[in-house]
Amino acid sequence: MQRVLMSAGAWLGLLATVAAGGEPPTYNSDIRPILSENCFACHGPDAKAREAGLRLDIADQATAELESGLRAIAPGDLDSSELLARVSSADPDLVMPPPEAKLGRLSAEDREKLTAWIEAGAEYEPHWTFVSPKHAQPTLTPAGSIDAIVAEGLAVRGLTFQPEAEKTTLIRRVSFDLTGLPPSLAEIDAFVADASPAAYENLLDRLLASPRYGERMAADWLDLARYSDSYGFQVDRERPYMWPWRDWVIEAFNDNLPWDDFTRWQLAGDLLPNATAQQRLATAFNRLHQQEAEGGSVEEEYRVAYVNDRVTTFGTTFLGLTLECCRCHDHKFDPVSQKEYYQFFAFFDDVDEAGLYSFFTQSTPTPKMPLLDSAAATARAAADARVVEAEAQLAAREQQARQTFASAFANGEPIPDAFLTQLASGLPGELVHYTFDERRADGKFQSLTDPPPEPAEAEPAAEQSESEEAKPEPPADRAATSPSENTLVASRDGQAVHLTGDHAVTTPVGNFRRSHPFSVATWIKPAAVYDRAVVFHRSQAWTDAASRGYELLVDRGHLQWSLIHFWPGDAVSVRAAEPLPVDTWTHVCVTSDGSSTAAGLKIFINGRPVATEIIRDRLTREMTGGGGDTIRIGERMRDNGFKEGEVDEFRVFDRMLLPIEVRETFAPGTLSELHAGVAAGTATPADLEAFVSLYAGTADAAVAEARAAVEAARLARDDLAEKPAEVMVMRDMDRPKVAYVLERGDYDKRGAAVSPGTPAVLPPFPEGQPRNRLGLARWLTDPEHPLLARVTVNRIWQSLFGIGLVPSSEDLGSQAKPAEYPQLLDELAWRFSHPAADGGLDWNLKELIKQIMLSKTYRQRSIADARTMADDPQNMWLARGPRHRLPAEMIRDNALAAAGLLVERIGGPPVKTYDLPDSFKPTAAGSGEDLFRRSLYTFWRRTGPGPVLEAFDVPNRVVCVAKRDTTNTPLHAFVLLNATQFVEASRVLAQEKLLQHEAAPQPALEESFHVLTSRLPDEEEQAILASMYAAQRAWYQQHPEAADELLGVGETPRAEGLAAIDLAAATSVINALMNYDGCVVKR
Amino acid sequence: MSITSPLSRRSLLGHFGLSAGGIGLGGLALASLLQREASAGTGVLAEPHLPVKAKRVIYLFQSGGPSQLDLFDDKPKLREMDGQQLPDSVRAGQRLTGMSGNQSSIPLVGSPFTFTKHGEGGATLCDQLPNTARVADKICFIRSMYTESINHGPGVTFMQSGSQIPGRPSIGAWLDYGLGSLADDLPSFVVLVTKDKGGQPLMSHLWGAGFLPPKHQGVRFRSGAEPVLSINNPPGVSRESRRAVLDGLRQLHEHEFAQLPDSEITARIANYEMAYRMQASVPEVTDFSDEPQHVLDAYGPDAQKPGSFAANCLLARRLAERGVRFIQLYHPGWDHHGGLKGALTRQCQETDKPSAALLDDLADRGMLDDTLVVWGGEFGRTNYGQGHYAPGSNFGRDHHPRCFTMWLAGGGVKPATTWGETCEFGYNVVKDGVHVHDLHATMLHLLGIDHERLTYKFQGRRYRLTDVHGRVVNGILA
Repeated sequence: MQRVLMSAGAWLGLLATVAAGGEPPTYNSDIRPILSENCFACHGPDAKAREAGLRLDIADQATAELESGLRAIAPGDLDSSELLARVSSADPDLVMPPPEAKLGRLSAEDREKLTAWIEAGAEYEPHWTFVSPKHAQPTLTPAGSIDAIVAEGLAVRGLTFQPEAEKTTLIRRVSFDLTGLPPSLAEIDAFVADASPAAYENLLDRLLASPRYGERMAADWLDLARYSDSYGFQVDRERPYMWPWRDWVIEAFNDNLPWDDFTRWQLAGDLLPNATAQQRLATAFNRLHQQEAEGGSVEEEYRVAYVNDRVTTFGTTFLGLTLECCRCHDHKFDPVSQKEYYQFFAFFDDVDEAGLYSFFTQSTPTPKMPLLDSAAATARAAADARVVEAEAQLAAREQQARQTFASAFANGEPIPDAFLTQLASGLPGELVHYTFDERRADGKFQSLTDPPPEPAEAEPAAEQSESEEAKPEPPADRAATSPSENTLVASRDGQAVHLTGDHAVTTPVGNFRRSHPFSVATWIKPAAVYDRAVVFHRSQAWTDAASRGYELLVDRGHLQWSLIHFWPGDAVSVRAAEPLPVDTWTHVCVTSDGSSTAAGLKIFINGRPVATEIIRDRLTREMTGGGGDTIRIGERMRDNGFKEGEVDEFRVFDRMLLPIEVRETFAPGTLSELHAGVAAGTATPADLEAFVSLYAGTADAAVAEARAAVEAARLARDDLAEKPAEVMVMRDMDRPKVAYVLERGDYDKRGAAVSPGTPAVLPPFPEGQPRNRLGLARWLTDPEHPLLARVTVNRIWQSLFGIGLVPSSEDLGSQAKPAEYPQLLDELAWRFSHPAADGGLDWNLKELIKQIMLSKTYRQRSIADARTMADDPQNMWLARGPRHRLPAEMIRDNALAAAGLLVERIGGPPVKTYDLPDSFKPTAAGSGEDLFRRSLYTFWRRTGPGPVLEAFDVPNRVVCVAKRDTTNTPLHAFVLLNATQFVEASRVLAQEKLLQHEAAPQPALEESFHVLTSRLPDEEEQAILASMYAAQRAWYQQHPEAADELLGVGETPRAEGLAAIDLAAATSVINALMNYDGCVVKR
Repeated sequence: MSITSPLSRRSLLGHFGLSAGGIGLGGLALASLLQREASAGTGVLAEPHLPVKAKRVIYLFQSGGPSQLDLFDDKPKLREMDGQQLPDSVRAGQRLTGMSGNQSSIPLVGSPFTFTKHGEGGATLCDQLPNTARVADKICFIRSMYTESINHGPGVTFMQSGSQIPGRPSIGAWLDYGLGSLADDLPSFVVLVTKDKGGQPLMSHLWGAGFLPPKHQGVRFRSGAEPVLSINNPPGVSRESRRAVLDGLRQLHEHEFAQLPDSEITARIANYEMAYRMQASVPEVTDFSDEPQHVLDAYGPDAQKPGSFAANCLLARRLAERGVRFIQLYHPGWDHHGGLKGALTRQCQETDKPSAALLDDLADRGMLDDTLVVWGGEFGRTNYGQGHYAPGSNFGRDHHPRCFTMWLAGGGVKPATTWGETCEFGYNVVKDGVHVHDLHATMLHLLGIDHERLTYKFQGRRYRLTDVHGRVVNGILA
């Protein structure tokens, strides 16, 4: 009892006045944890789950008279407080919590606390998490304020600080904490020799300026960001281009980008005014969640899952709140409602993304940005300029051709013969024309563009080309094929094909690039008002290929015509305003002018252009590739076919038809009538205009040349656009999506619509800020926001001390165990977030870390007296300095650095280490430098991270993780003793030290000890090393072949000039040292 | 979570159940198993909530979704209506997967296999399961399983962790957390995956610890030279030379401890001793040379092929004998969207005999009574064909979450029983439905755990395997 009260007093900061046993419990420290744990689930914020109308987390309601006439809490009146009667009752029908809650009875201690609190007046307090931190120590330096607060707390327990750690221990501690790497022997010597008062601070400054600092800090951030090099979920394919974001993180830490900017850029860099490429790249933070490609998955289900992941990650990383609890219902413990959850959701769902990535293509899911160096950016700007120039040239030539032809015509000059011949010989550029009037003997449909078939043996179907050739030469026989399930039926003109919806009519043509103009005309007879039906397409599949290609769909009864690189974010698409008639033969023609714009897409119904709505207008990459290179009619993989529909007179043109030509496909003879009218002088002005256009558009050589130049310029531009890698980023849609409360969290159970907003319990959304991610980021980074600075400071503390001031760094809400020193958390949070003019650090992370490290609290020895070690194993009291096993990356990097194998180069693609072939999803190991880069760069597959790192508790980065576990298991021994990386590093260190010491084992081993532990071995340790070496050498003498085997482990060549037996013995001893506490535990 | 309390028996036990004396593994017998159980109890539950019926679990996961209609749940009606359309009244608007959801015709397909009744329980089984048929009276068939997922990723994750989204602890992790280890020198949760099977991918989160401390995650035994990652000494290091190195390391640690009395150091010493012993015990358990020929024969010819389902079944029995609490097998290859008849026959050839042999073998050793054996996949398959189907032609079935069959045996389950019923179309459960959460609740119940009381607080909320659902299926308890 005494200890409990002291601890409560300590964190209240009322230390000086506490007389043992004298203070009543307080709501925040003592009572809320009890109520939250035992009562709030049924008597808390969740309105739907509330029992008996009783709400205990709000004073007014907890003390109000209930329907039963009783009061749960009657301040100062124990007898009238039903809560006390209920928690003490022995009657299973009355006792609270009820037996079916299976929480057990309240402990006597908890009941005493409740009693004392009610007796003292049952005073509620707002939860500290939701109140802005206060600045209580203005006269001290930040480091001084840490020590003042901790010293007071220790004094209450009768404890004092430990003495400062040995210099050798201290430099090892700060080197790992700031750079993730051990100090070199020279650095140790210099620091030990430097007796100046500023020696320690100079050391901190030097390490904070090291580029290794950014790499060390990034490792923690990657866990929060759930960064990986694979997509995750079931298929878990490699996701090759997210690492530029990781490199941005390293750079941001090294540049000491102020933390509010660091936060704003990642949440909303794309929305900043004149956003730079770096600011947009930073937003990849929101796209690092898992993505799915499993065939048959429901697209919307996963899209919603991605948005949920963004909200969850935002909540954990920046708010320290478990927002995900409110997906299905109001939060059980924190005052955040389900509706408020979906208001956060609304900030994060406005991106034009697909719920599935593409199985059949390697396209980067949208939204995305190309990664361009300056040379590439210049080349692209030049290519764009050439397109504009060529387009202007074409417009001028067209104008000129029209004028020339019109005036020649007006002057009574004869119409050129070539044009007349052309008019008589049908439409130019026709690739295929299927009448579907009969099946050939081989079951195929003849194209009118081919010569009639020989009555010979059927040819086998041509293999479909997978190449990206722009205009493959149509095969000699351009017949279409179809399974017999599609039948021929009588039509308006001969026969038509009747489609099952599950079988395609496959043509051998249509692999057009996006800049190549083309047209498709056909008669169709839909059987119903289709919700969705594919009339024809050139693509491998729907979601499985992100619809790469082009397609004519019926969408909720309207035609929709689209060119697509990745649906929906990289596509142009238009939808007819008027509905498609049902059960009626209708002529449909669609054209593309090759401009990659929605304006360049036209839909014609029964020969006339129809008004369209722009659905998408952003096409940046090619629509070829991805398989399914030719047009197929009526069916697509895992999509809705043109079920029971009929198709007739299907024609494909290698150019964009003019409106008058479209009319010709609808009403054959239109052109000859036009010509006749013109020739007879009976043509209307509109007819004359069409005639002039037809000439300029189809028969003028200069125009044709200019058009070819436009296409060439566009293709050159397209070729450049295909080159750069792309990285997923955030970009809000022009028209925001409507977000809904999803009942029970189900993607398909939409409730009320909600707009973006922040919870009532937190500060109000700032006036005048946009209701988008940028406004949200500004709301979050206001210095008065109670959460961002606290959550950040707490995690930084965790990275240095092994555990946060609040141990649950992922949850600072109502269920969090209170901090031992809440005023310390508040003081540091206040300082971190406030401007320098007010005495703050102005979001300067390096300065925050330096101030913590300057404190006496941090610099203490890491071991205290046995009683304190036992009573406070997690070091919440801070009666000693930090001590914990090194994180996974540091364990491996330490071995590489000690052996001199570490290849230091910042950034770049991930590398494959020795152990990846042993991963659950094996990947071949790399070679050369790839084997020796810092662990931060190790290729990360979510379903099978590198086994060495995994053995040391890296999370798999499936979801945001704010805190790693630190285990100590026998599996570690296997890795450190036997894994190639460590055996090789031991041997390389051994050979280096033996060579330095003329093969003398003892100095070589002692110096290796020094390298691995940052201190010299004492006499007894020297003796142990000597006897270990002697034993190993004796064994290898008896087993000389074994020595060669051991020395053959790893790629690094064995040094010449050393006896195998000596080197093997030294290797074994050094390998043991890599398992020694002094090597793998930071003290 | 580091082991930081002072050196004690309890802290040393941890995940691997280190016993101070280091009991040898030779001559393993039920007696020694019982002896260990007496000294067990390293989980958070000081005592079981309920009478313990099953002490361990062998879960034969059949990944991909085995067709219940072609194995266990015979539907003559489908043969009658072969090729006809699934009536809308049966489907009642339930969602289909994206695979078959857009096909314009959904033709019923009758099973091409013959079914007969077996044993006193009268279980109806397909003729491709002769060995399962022989031991049918040891088994309880649940024909009324249902789940919520229609795709493999979420489906398997749901079946193994009670949630469709990765990140929750798996069943084995919950058991290790709650009950602790029975094993001396082995992990208490071991995972075995049939080698060289294609099929749907399996992910390590399926046996992950989720938010529980990572020491509770399953240890996957590999079928190659190293059953545990890096357990073998590197080339040029022998057991003897390794011992000498470890002795030196121990001296260094003892010397350090004398100056720095930190329990972290004693825990480290203990772990290196444990590791040394595991280097012997793991190869021992994976070495079948001491198995009598008749036992090897019973599991079939594949028993001698490391990584086969047969070998993994036998290995599972050996691990169970040595105190491993939860042995999770995975056998992929049941995802028969097409070519079902031939593919299902091959799957049966791989699994039928070893599964039955495992039950016999456990029974012969007196271990079936307290070993729960579970057989089943993540969902069932549709009564209609996927894609185009003409009666008598090659066919496949799509995923179907609305009903499927699993079986349980031993460990307090009522033998010779068939539980639950599906409709005559084999589309919906009509009687005694068992949801995935109910299965989990029942498994925990048999292990002596009230599924509502084994909880772990994470991010402010108490989590459990069954989320906020699950009812024990009392009707299948012995």
